[in-house]
Parts: sequence; structure tokens; C-alpha cells
Amino acid sequence: MAQRHIKKHHVAIVLLHWFNAISWLLELSTGAGLIVSPYYRFAPMWYLQMMEGVFGSRANMLRFHIAVGLTWTAVFLVYAIFGFRNYLRIEVLQNEIGLDRDDVRWLRVRTLLLLGRTKDPLPPQGVYNAGQKLFALLVYTMVPLIMLTGLTMTFHWFGTAFVAWAMVLHFFAVGMVVSGLMIHVYMGAVFPEEKPAFYSMITGVVDELYAYRHHFKWWRSVKIQQQAWRAELTSKEEAIGTDEKPHQDPRTDAAPLISRPQSGDRR
Amino acid sequence: MATKITRRKFLSSTSTVAALTTAGAATVKAQSRPPSWRGDTRVEQIATNCEMCFWRCGVMAEVADGKVLKLSGNPQHPLTKGQLCARGNAGTQLLYDADRLKYPLIRTGKRGEGKFRRASWDEALDLFAKRLQELKQKYGPESVAYLPHGVAAGFFGTLMKAYGTPNSAEPAFAQCRGPRDVGYQLTFGRAVNSPEPVDLEESKCMVLIGSHIGENVFTSQVTNFITGLQRGAKLIVVDPRFSTAASKADHWLPIKPGTDIALLLSWANVLIAENLYDKEYVEQYATGMKELEAHVKEFSPEWAESITEIPAAQICETAHVMADAKPAVVVHPGRHVTWYGDDTQRARAMAILTALLGAYGRKGGMFLPSKLKQGRIPLPSFPESERGRVDGGGSIFPLAGEESQGLSHTMVQATISGTPYPIKAWIVYGQNILESIPQRQNTLKAIEHLEFMAVVDVLPVEQTNYADIVLPEATYLERYDPPHVVTTSKRPFVAVRQPAIAPLYESKPGWWIAKQMASRLGLSDYFPWKDPDDHLSRLMQPLGINLAELKSLGAVSFEGHPYIEDRGGTDGPLFPTQSGKIELFSSVLKDLKFDPLPKFSAPEQPPPGYIRLIYGRAPMHSFARSENNSWLNDLMPENQVWIGREIAAKFRVQDGQKVILENQDGVKSLPIAVRATAAIREDCAYMVHGFGTLGQGLTKTYKKGASDSQLITRVAIDPITGATGMRVNFVRVLPANGERS
Amino acid sequence: MPRYAMVIDQERCVGCQSCTVACKSEWEVPNGSARTKVRQTGTVGQFPKLSTAFYVSQCNHCDRPTCVPACPTGATYQDQNGVVRVNRDLCIGCGSCVAACPYGARYINAEIGKVDKCDFCASRLSRGLQPACVATCPAHAKIFGDLEDSSSDVFQFVYRGAAKRMETANIAIGPNVYYAGKPEHAELALASFAPLPPRTLAPGKVWSSLLNKFVFLAVGATFLGQAVAFFHQLSTGEKQFEE
Repeated sequence: MAQRHIKKHHVAIVLLHWFNAISWLLELSTGAGLIVSPYYRFAPMWYLQMMEGVFGSRANMLRFHIAVGLTWTAVFLVYAIFGFRNYLRIEVLQNEIGLDRDDVRWLRVRTLLLLGRTKDPLPPQGVYNAGQKLFALLVYTMVPLIMLTGLTMTFHWFGTAFVAWAMVLHFFAVGMVVSGLMIHVYMGAVFPEEKPAFYSMITGVVDELYAYRHHFKWWRSVKIQQQAWRAELTSKEEAIGTDEKPHQDPRTDAAPLISRPQSGDRR
Repeated sequence: MATKITRRKFLSSTSTVAALTTAGAATVKAQSRPPSWRGDTRVEQIATNCEMCFWRCGVMAEVADGKVLKLSGNPQHPLTKGQLCARGNAGTQLLYDADRLKYPLIRTGKRGEGKFRRASWDEALDLFAKRLQELKQKYGPESVAYLPHGVAAGFFGTLMKAYGTPNSAEPAFAQCRGPRDVGYQLTFGRAVNSPEPVDLEESKCMVLIGSHIGENVFTSQVTNFITGLQRGAKLIVVDPRFSTAASKADHWLPIKPGTDIALLLSWANVLIAENLYDKEYVEQYATGMKELEAHVKEFSPEWAESITEIPAAQICETAHVMADAKPAVVVHPGRHVTWYGDDTQRARAMAILTALLGAYGRKGGMFLPSKLKQGRIPLPSFPESERGRVDGGGSIFPLAGEESQGLSHTMVQATISGTPYPIKAWIVYGQNILESIPQRQNTLKAIEHLEFMAVVDVLPVEQTNYADIVLPEATYLERYDPPHVVTTSKRPFVAVRQPAIAPLYESKPGWWIAKQMASRLGLSDYFPWKDPDDHLSRLMQPLGINLAELKSLGAVSFEGHPYIEDRGGTDGPLFPTQSGKIELFSSVLKDLKFDPLPKFSAPEQPPPGYIRLIYGRAPMHSFARSENNSWLNDLMPENQVWIGREIAAKFRVQDGQKVILENQDGVKSLPIAVRATAAIREDCAYMVHGFGTLGQGLTKTYKKGASDSQLITRVAIDPITGATGMRVNFVRVLPANGERS
Repeated sequence: MPRYAMVIDQERCVGCQSCTVACKSEWEVPNGSARTKVRQTGTVGQFPKLSTAFYVSQCNHCDRPTCVPACPTGATYQDQNGVVRVNRDLCIGCGSCVAACPYGARYINAEIGKVDKCDFCASRLSRGLQPACVATCPAHAKIFGDLEDSSSDVFQFVYRGAAKRMETANIAIGPNVYYAGKPEHAELALASFAPLPPRTLAPGKVWSSLLNKFVFLAVGATFLGQAVAFFHQLSTGEKQFEE
């Protein structure tokens, strides 16, 4: 039987994800290299000196950090401006960060599983499991904070006191996301069970069996939709020979064929 | 480190427009040093001199793109040698002050309302000339009085003389230096002049009577004062207030105000009685010693103590200090000396003391001016007026003659009274008449009698509101002025004032205004020179100065003969008095029925509940000129009234509290903060002059602080010179909010 | 290598503020701030035995500056001549250094949103000129020079004379603006304008006391969590997803 795939990530999401990852790497490495005060620094001296060497001067490093930061902010702003209609919807947000009863149980069971303290099965999950939803929630709260504080420091908004607090909040928000990243990177890149998820962030699709096993609720809704499509096509096939009107391209129809976006195909 | 020129970039629009609109006015081509750099901007260095006050320190202006970026001292200037005070450094903020007068204005509303419409120069000058012609026809040229101040006013002064009026009054005499110059002239044959020829740097003892050097900042005088002190000179300061100078003094004598003559006479008494004066010098150079000796016999230190409230022992001690240091003693003649109405006699007493110490013409004392004769531009003779001056100079006040620059307040009185003949117009040039002339109530009343008033100024000072025509003059950084010829410095010199940039807005230099008016009045013969370069070269011609060098360096100095031993035949008599000697006893005064030797008479004392108002200077301001300057205003936006701690308690006010001063005539000041301090006697209140202006055009300083001038409603007239003694007003202190704390 | 320092001769100073304005003019210091400013103590003593003194408030380019470590980005640094300077390209204007200076020498330049202060006119020095304040002072009260040069005036004042540092028992960070003149004037100035303990801004306090620890705890905990998971994964064998 041929391998069957379901589209999980739109190509824009894929590109955005890796753009984000690279930006984060650049910003983390330069950001760590910028904090040199003995009261606040955390990177070792050799690292600070190496980074200064790479850029020629710390002023250059700051300029680079600001340039990448502004670009990163701008890209997401553009994305937000053009895409907000598609994702600022209840269903979308529920899929990404909404925790239902299954999610809460999943969190408990998953933790106990890791500790080897249970043999219960994991409750069914949607397109994103509860852990992924928590991470999304963290990112959605921290990233705007990172952007705002970064802009405050770059353009000296609202005066010195704001800039001073912005520094602290910037570092705090980044730290929180980095903590989340520890899990996100491990789960995505190292943990073998989730390997298909990692590849889906490159190809945009996941294997059906993986979807069935790990994201049952999503797999089911996709299957229901596919069945509906097949039923419609079958009825159209049977109507050939009678006086059937030619099929209109659904994209030119006033009423779109798919009235509501399904998980895995939005934004 | 490349300095980003942010503030300066913003100015580029105004100056470019201005440069284009004033392209027609010929200016002295400013010769400048080889360009140098500020960051990555090429700058030209233009040498000129300052007019934030009247010392005219040498200035180097850094100019790029038609903007003055910075002012510094000119190291080549023989007097100031590269030093520049706070006001000099802030000159750019006068140049770029948004409140400046920008365009000629013609009055539209009622006089005093301050409503004007903008006019072109042609229209304004035509109207001005027309009015002057009308006045000449109707009332005679003498009906127009000229009230100038400052260097640029000289061109217009020539115009006024050519027009035919003898009436001109500058406050420099009767409101400032007059009694001093007359007193010293009577004694030594020479006025003191400016800069004062005091050899501070070489002196071994300096005596300051009221002079508050350090708060009163003339750059080179501070330098020499400090140099002298550093070399070990003793300092005696006589001042009711613990001034900066007093804080450096070996002896501070907190004298009762108005009793300085008693102290001076007593010092003379001690020096003579104890044979401490310079006998040789006096025998060789002075007359009238016998009369002086007899005169001061009764003025013992004990007598003086009861008057001055200075212990007799201290009077003796300080006399000894002076005697030990003689002849290298500077008894500083002061500068603004119009205090109590006996000021000429006080100057005489100081001159006599100087002579007793053998200090006049000696190293470390007062040195002698050297000759420096600039060229004269031959002019047709000025019309003689049969009616004579209205201010009484040369007549009522015989010693306030031609050189006296006029008596402002009597001019004001004559305008009010219409005697000896009516004054119908005032031309005010660079003088802040409502601040400089005391008894402003009279000045305002006089203005009501005028049919015409024109004001030429840089800033919209208060009297601008009363003018019919207002003409905007260019600042000192934008104009040529006659060269500064200084003979009262150890090396006489000539310093040039040349524009650093072209005039901004539609302002014009004084010489241009005068020439334009002259051509309209048919008086061009009195301005036979073509342009500033021509004017300058004619004046400098006999001195044999290379003009390019002068413009490049800013100043050229010559050999001086400051001390008696250096003098030769070409320097003229040592003491150009009638007798050819120092006249301790003044027969001139005697002939005029004045005291030939100074006597003390007590000034009127404050009524109960009042204290005497005295005033002075702050180092970051010049009179009432600089308070609107953005940087200087930032340093000192308001003045304070200094009063003693006990008297503050009596008035029930606290340090820092806002109060109102009410004088003996019921005139109230604007609110002013109290400084309750031990640094002043309990019987006087001190404030810095120049604040509390009612000129709303000076937006940064309008009604900030309080004005001492507004409280000076009474004056004591010095009968010899007609000068107005102004420290004869008394105030009481009231809380500003009406409630006593 | 020159080690620059300045001496204020209090007996020469008259408090005229020429230095304040010359500096303001040279460096476009906004109104309300000053890189250097003359202050006067109150009048002390009993009339008529009174005393007052002048003090110049500016950066002292200290031997052990408290502002340099306070700067998060290292924008403020001390160059090889001992001059404490601000690299505008690195400064974000957080104000930590302003609070950390015991002498109140720094200010935020609102026009550019960055910190400013006296830098001994570094660009003038490189052109062979004196600092603007020194050049303009009518009383020659500000003496500037190289402490390593035994022929310089500052050397004489500091090592041969009795020039004092404005230091207290608590705050002795080696200021290099010295005070010469009568001892009572230096004492008066110190009493009136004593250096204050360096302050840390509230956000800075949060950062150095809590934040680093908190963040590293969070990151460390999550990292450890994943390390545990990883070892668990290794011990239970790779559970590859079946194709």
C-alpha cells in the first residue's frame, strides 16, 4: 500500500519556522555576547572575546543584533497584517493553544509515562498535543514582549526608565523561551517518536499512521472531510451522461467548497 | 570623535535664507585664519571681539556653512589672551535667539500696546527720515534726543550730531562711571576709562571698595586679579556683602552702606599721622598735601568706627597692610559708582588714597595710558545749536561736559517738563532705557510727551512696545563696528570687530542704518567712507597696521609706557592737571563751590521696618542684556534677594520662599525668592540687576525674578556730575502669597 | 602612556561658569544638563568670619570607576589614558551608569537618547588642544595634564603639593579631579558635595539578584528534564516510528 500523507504545514509556515530558528540562533549568540557588565553577564569571557573578534567591535555586534531583530520583527508583522483574518479565529486558536480535557489528562499521563509510573494510554490529541500547545502559549506571550522591549531599547521609547526595564524584561522573556526551546528542540530533533513531526516541518506533510497514532482527533476530522469529498465526487461521477452542468472551479464559486478551514491547512 | 551636528543642522534653513536676502549689504570681508576642523567639518576661524558686555574680549568664531558653531577666546588678543567668560561663550545663543528682532516694524496700535506691522527697510527708513525732517521743521533738530549705548551706536551718533541735535545721553556716565572719571580727572588729570588701568597682576595689595570682581566678570580683570592674589598680594574688600571677592580676602570689612568716604578719610588719616605714606612720591608729584593733612586730622579710626561699624583696630590694621605694600597698591576705582550722590567725592577720596600710597603710575598700582592715535576721518563741522543741551551737562553740571556722554535722567525730566525747550522725539539705540535709567515712572511719563520714538535694537526689550518704528540691528557676530582702540592697557592695542556670518533675517549693521538714513537726510557728507573696509583703513592708516594681519589676528598691539619711569617726551605730561601735578586739593572744585577735599555726610537711613536695597552683578549675566539667552538663562533663570537671617526672621520669611519687595514709595516688585544668609549685613537687601523684565517679547525671561530698577524710584543726585545715586531706596519684604509664614 | 588628570585650584576659582558654558558650547549639552558645572557651598561661619568654597561637578575619570561595570553593554569604558568615555554606538540609554556615579557626573542627553558626560575633550586632546573648560577659564583655575609627566603642573600639585581627592571613608574610588588650595576650602567642598553611594536602578537590582538565577534555573531545569528523557530513550531503545 502506498504511503499516505496528510498536509500539516503550509509552505509559509515551514519557511517562517526556519527563518525564526535561524534568527533566534543569531540573536541568542549576539545577545549573549553583548552583556559584558560583571553584574549581569552570564557568558564566559572567552565567548565574549570571541564574539567581539568575529564582529570586529561590540558596536558592530549590537548593530547586527538590532538589524536581525528588526528584520525578524518586520517579517512577523507583515505576516500578522496579511494573515490575521486566517488565524485570529476561535477554532484556530483552540487548536494551537486551547487546552481541553484530553490535553490536561495528556499532560499528566505523559509525565508519568516518562517517569515510568504508569501504563495508561495517552488521551487523543488534536493537531498539536498539549505540550506543543503550552509551548505555543509561552511563545505567543513572550515573543511580543521580546519585540516590544527590543524596539524600546533600539529607539529609546518613553525614556530611560522604560529602557532600563525593557532590558530586564527582554532578557527574562528570552530566557523563558529558551527554557521552552530546550524541550521543543529535544522533542523535535532528538526524540525518535516525533521524527515524523520534524520532517513535516521540512516537507509540510505527515504520514497518516503517525497522524492516527499521535494526533487522532485531527486525523479523524481530516478523514471525515476526505470522505465527504469522496462522496461528492462519487455523486458527480454517477451523474455523468445525464444533463449535468460542467463543474465549476470551486475557487471561482461565490460559495467556497470548503467553508471552514481545517487544522493543518490554514494561515 | 566625530560630533554629530544635530542642533546645528536644524539652523541651516534660517541662515541660508538670510544669506540670500542680505546678499546686497556689503560687509567687511572677514579675513580668517587657515581653516581647521571640528570632527569631520571644515571650519573657518574668524577673529572678532565680543559684545555680550563692554569689555570686548577677543573672540574666535568657528564658522562652517554660514553658521557659527562655537565661540572661544582669541589667544592673540593682547588683553584677554584666549580667555572668554560664560557670556562670551554663550554669544551664539544671542545670534540664534528666536526672540530677536527680525524685520523693521511700524506701529499699528496705540503706543505701549506693542502692536506692529512688518515693513520693508525702505518703507521704515523713509518714514523715519520723513518724521525727522518734520520734527526739524516744526520744533528744530534739538527736539530730537538720542539715547544710545554701545559701540555700534557711534555711527548713528554722528548722524544725530549732523542732524543738529546736541541732546544725547548714554547711561555710561550718569548712571555708571561718571563720578569716578571726573573724580580721578580732577586729581590726576585723567579719567579712569575702560579697561581700568589697574596693575592687579603686579600688585602687592588690592583694595576693593564695593567692587565684586568674580561676580562682576571682565575676563582679563579676573585673570589679573587672580594672578595678583596667587603671587601673594593681600586683598582688602570693603563690601556690606560677603561677595566672592570677600571670600578670597585677607580682610573683609562689612561696611555700613553709604559710609565708604569715612573709611577712606580715616585711612588717609592713619597713613599721614603715622608717616606711612609715600613721602617722596607726594613731594615730587603732588600739591595740596598741607591742606589734606589738616583736613584729615579729625578723621581718626575711632571716629570712622562709629560711622562705618568697622572696628578701629581693623581700620588701622588694613591701613598698615596697604602701607607695607606701597607703592604696589591698587585702590580699585570701581566701575559702576553711582551710589549715594556723593560719588565724585568718594572717587576723589580713592584717588587721594592712591596718591598717598604713591601708586599712580607705579608698578602694582595704577599704570598710565599710552598714546595710540587712530586716524580721523575729516567730516564737515557739525551744526552748532544755539539752544544748547537740555540735560544740564556742562552748565548745571559743569563737569559733565562734552565727554560726559550726557545725563539720561535729566534728559527724561526735560522731556516731561518741556524746559528749557520741548523734546519731542527719542531715538533709542541699543539702550534698555526702562532698566538702565532709574525712576522708570518718569521715563514712562516722558514717553507720553513724545510725538515720535524710534528704537534700534537686537532684542525686543520692553521699550520696544512704545516705539513708532523698530529697526532690527544685527548682532555683534554679524556686523562691522569701529575698531576697539585701547590705551589703558600696559600694551596699547587695536582690536577689530568683523562679521563672522552675514546678518540673519533682515537685521542690518549699525553703519548701514546710519548711512541709509544719512542719504535720506542729505547728510551723506558726514559718511564719506564707502564701506567698512574703507572706514577701517582710514582709521588705521596713521598706525601703519597691515589690515590683513589685523583681521587675521584680531588685534595688533604696540609698545606701552605704563609706568612713570618708562615715560618719555612723546607721552605727554605725567599729570595733565591745571598745575601739572597730582591735585590732592582740588582748586577746580573749590572754584565751583564744591568741597575741595572730600567730606563725609551720612546718607539717609532706612525708615523703621525697611532695609536698604543694593544690587550687583552675576557672572553669567550682563546687566539686563543676557537674561533671555537660552544657555545663560538655564544657568540662572531668576535672581534672589539676599537678606540677613535675623532680618528674614523679623520679616517672617524663610530661605527659598517667594517674596515681594515693597519700596518706600509703595512700589512692589515681582515675586522673588529669598536667600536668607549670613553673607550680608542685616541692614541691606541685595539682588542681581537685570531680571523681572516686563518686555513680553523676551519670552524666556519675561517676568522671571524681580527688577531692582523698578524699585529705584528715588535717586540722589551728585551735584558735581549730575550722576544718579541709586542705592537710596529702601524695601521691606512681604511674603508673595500675602500670608506671613 | 599619559594618565590624564585635572586639578581645581579653589583659590583661583571665582565660580563664573565660563567653563560650564564653554563645555556646553563645545559639546551641545542640552539645557538642564551639564558636563561640568561650578557649584558653590553655602556660607559657613559666624558673621563676619565667613567662608565659602567652589567645587566643580564633572566626571572625575576615577581610578576604579563604578560606572564602567554598571554598563550592561560595556558602552562605558576607560581608555588607556584613564579617560572614562562613552561609546555612543553601544549605549542604549538605560541610565544604569548615571545611577552608579557617586559624583552625579552623567546625564541622559534627551536629544539622542544616550548617556553623555565629560570625556576630558578627547577629540580636542588629539588635536593638541586643551579641554574647552581649561582653555576658557579666566582665572586659570582648571589645570589639566599628564600625571605620568613629572614636569607637568598636575604632577606638581598631586605628588609634590597637597592636592586632595574628593573621597570619603565609604567612597574612595580614586577620582582624578583633584582640589588644591586652602585645606578648609577642600573640606567645605567635600562636606557640601560629598560623593554619594553608587546606586543600582531597580531593574538592575532585579537582574543581578533574581533574574540570572531564575532564568538559569528555568533553562537548566528544562535542559535537565530533556537530558533525563534522552537517557530514558537510550535505555528503552529507539522506538522508531514504523513505516
